[in-house]
Amino acid sequence: MGHFRTGILIALALAVITVFEFWLAHVNSGPTFLMMIAALKAILVIWFFMHVKRLWSAEGAH
Amino acid sequence: MAVSTPLSKPAHADTSYAPVTAHEAGHESYAERLRLNRMGMWLFFISEAFLFGALLATRFYLWGDTRPALDQNIGFIVTTVLLLSSISMYTADTAAEHGQWRAFSVACWVTMILGLVFFFGVVIFEWGLFPQFYKGHLTPWENHYGAVVFAMTGMHALHVISGIVLIFIMWRLARKKHFTTDKHWGIEAAAIYWHYVDVVWIFFYPALYLIGTAAHH
Repeated sequence: MGHFRTGILIALALAVITVFEFWLAHVNSGPTFLMMIAALKAILVIWFFMHVKRLWSAEGAH
Repeated sequence: MAVSTPLSKPAHADTSYAPVTAHEAGHESYAERLRLNRMGMWLFFISEAFLFGALLATRFYLWGDTRPALDQNIGFIVTTVLLLSSISMYTADTAAEHGQWRAFSVACWVTMILGLVFFFGVVIFEWGLFPQFYKGHLTPWENHYGAVVFAMTGMHALHVISGIVLIFIMWRLARKKHFTTDKHWGIEAAAIYWHYVDVVWIFFYPALYLIGTAAHH
């Protein structure tokens, strides 16, 4: 289970941010802040789930 | 028995230089191919970002600080379903890396089912294609709200369907022992494609459902 831990933690973070985003939108927040939250979620997915850092990893391993 | 293939050596190399084995040479070329594949995949994602970026720009240009009165519960539920599918796809990718092929197989099916739930959630509830279940309140030709909603969700749904097809192909290939823990680029590509579809929805969800005041149309 150890190697799945990162994924679970990131998923929990994404879930919490999504609930916060939903709540924030309903207390009338502006588009800029909501898109910044979306960008934060996208960065988490791109970094941890899409492994973007493998693009410049030297070993070329999975 | 190790088969050794002498490869070209630099002129300054001394004679004690150990020849590279065929296995090592093969691994090196796979690593190089893997780097190029990843680069190609990310270039594809960048090109796709222009398409989805244009749709987002269209939404902000045409709707401004308003939005159609879409069902908030449906939006939240389908977003949660897609997030869950991203977790299961991450599980499938990680399981393949560690040779846990049964977990890989289960996670692939969970992802495909969640992808279909997302797709039908959009098709039934937002598009209203099956009025016997749920009567939709938007049509693509009615006004700029309907046109943008259908364009954005339609283009995204097309990617969801192609992602499901890709995952199914990878699942079939894995069953035929096409992949190993060291060599499974196809699985990695399908996984990052699926996560990309999730990233697109991360921006589409607030743009469609949260930003602006609901307009009566």
